[in-house]
Amino acid sequence: MKRIFLFCASTVFLVYVLAPVAWLVSSSVQQEAEITSRPPHWIPREPTLENFEAIFAAKEKQVTYETRRQGDPATGGYIPSTARNLVPAMWNSLIVAVAVVILNLVVSVPAAYAMAKIRFVGRSASIYFMLTTRVIPDIALVVPFFFFIHKLGLLDHLGSLVITYLAITVPFGVFILVGYFESLPDELDKAARIDGCSRLQTLLRVYLPLAVPSLVAVVLFTFLTSWNEFLLALMFTQTPASQTMPIIVAAFTSDFTISFSFINAAGVLAVIPPVILAVVFERYIVSGLTAGAVKG
Amino acid sequence: MSRYDQMSALGLLAPMLVVLLVVAVFPVLYSFWVSLFDLKLTRPHRVPFVWLANYATVFQDPLFWASVWRTTWFTVISVAAIMVIALLAALLLNEEFRGRRFLSAVLLVPWAIPYVANGLMWKWIYDSGYGALNGLLFQLDFIDKYMVWLGDSEKTLALIANAFVWKEVPLATILILVGLKSIPGDLYSAARVDGANVWRRFVHITLPALRPSFMLVLIYEAMMAIRHFDLFFILTEGGPAEASHVLAWEVYVETFRKLSFGTGSALAYIMAILTFLLAFALIRALGKKL
Repeated sequence: MKRIFLFCASTVFLVYVLAPVAWLVSSSVQQEAEITSRPPHWIPREPTLENFEAIFAAKEKQVTYETRRQGDPATGGYIPSTARNLVPAMWNSLIVAVAVVILNLVVSVPAAYAMAKIRFVGRSASIYFMLTTRVIPDIALVVPFFFFIHKLGLLDHLGSLVITYLAITVPFGVFILVGYFESLPDELDKAARIDGCSRLQTLLRVYLPLAVPSLVAVVLFTFLTSWNEFLLALMFTQTPASQTMPIIVAAFTSDFTISFSFINAAGVLAVIPPVILAVVFERYIVSGLTAGAVKG
Repeated sequence: MSRYDQMSALGLLAPMLVVLLVVAVFPVLYSFWVSLFDLKLTRPHRVPFVWLANYATVFQDPLFWASVWRTTWFTVISVAAIMVIALLAALLLNEEFRGRRFLSAVLLVPWAIPYVANGLMWKWIYDSGYGALNGLLFQLDFIDKYMVWLGDSEKTLALIANAFVWKEVPLATILILVGLKSIPGDLYSAARVDGANVWRRFVHITLPALRPSFMLVLIYEAMMAIRHFDLFFILTEGGPAEASHVLAWEVYVETFRKLSFGTGSALAYIMAILTFLLAFALIRALGKKL
């Protein structure tokens, strides 16, 4: 009885979580005639990879409105000329994410160690201060960020994203790491200090090797946040030179002339890297997400 | 506490403090400063200092109050749905059965998907011409002709909320699951000895024990819902007419479409203060554990 109930509940759960994604993937490999059928073909009868081909082969092959495939223009049979921007945009996203991850670790590891292991004046004030900065909605930061980035001459430059993403990822990174460092014994610290290590050496040689699981969690969070961020990228990037993946994909969704199946293919590409990371590193992510909640 | 400790702590904290001062504190102060000027990029050479007039303008604008109301409505239905679905999912994942590990890995899929892709996906599902929602309801005979979904101002906020809920449920589930796991098992055995059935055990043990988790999820998700922007941009751009013109969208339109940075900053400030009040409770709840 209980097993049947659990089985049914699991099925409902799986359908709720996966059905929308399955439909996205299914529509990305359908041809124009199929995707505009009523009612929809849930499973494509003649799957095709031509949308993905258009994205990856855009450099060699001229895919423009002129070379559009035969399809009813009224229903949108087009592959846009901007299809070729998607792969460079994914590179941009990757570069920004990697830079943010590295800088984030450089900044948050020492700060978290100090907060967790050193009793100093202003310790709790600095923790509150850090958390408070994340409370401000991103949209409230956009105007001052805009002037700031403009002054630095970084508009339409990947650097603008690296700087601003640092602001939105550092507090959470520190938060995860503080929780983890606190769970490591204080005796290690004392022993290392007696052996003549400085604070920095203690951190680098004793605690850092032990903190690898939480470092993985921070890396994943920072990477995914940067990879997925939309609002700030929308404000600070204007040309394909600095546009990241979400910007290019968002532009497809508002263009009614583009083929539905092409838009879905772009969506699938945007989804694959973060989903693989999340599923492979599930354990680390869950422990990171619960870092604040489990500590009692 | 030694002097050495104090100095080394400051040294280790310095990079973070610099980053946060430059990219968080300075912008907040600067945007308050900007909100005191009548700064319009359409008229860049005349920028009069107007004291708090921008705030007065905002408060007198009926569109502002309408968008506050829409934001409230969006937040209430989203957070309520997130709590219910996440509780059910967490209760399921708290059981031991084959395939549980698989389900918890799958749970992370919506969480990992970028909001832009999430918006694209739901826009296509809701499509009035060829979308899956119409197709499904039509095949199941719930509707006899294809319907307009996002374009219907009665439904649009609820449909956007649905897309938001789908993406936010995983995090809420994980937080509630932690709460469930922390309930001592002997509480249940004791209740069983006393003859309490499943429902009574759930109401009298599980729900009260989950209170801190519920508070955490409630406040965090409310903050996320109030500030949410991406789905409104992708799905409706505030439309149809003004049916999904929420506060975050109002800030965006005022600032980057009307290029009125003064009133835009004032709006952003009002919004920040609203979320700050909510978040104050969150930080206190979390702060106790630090």
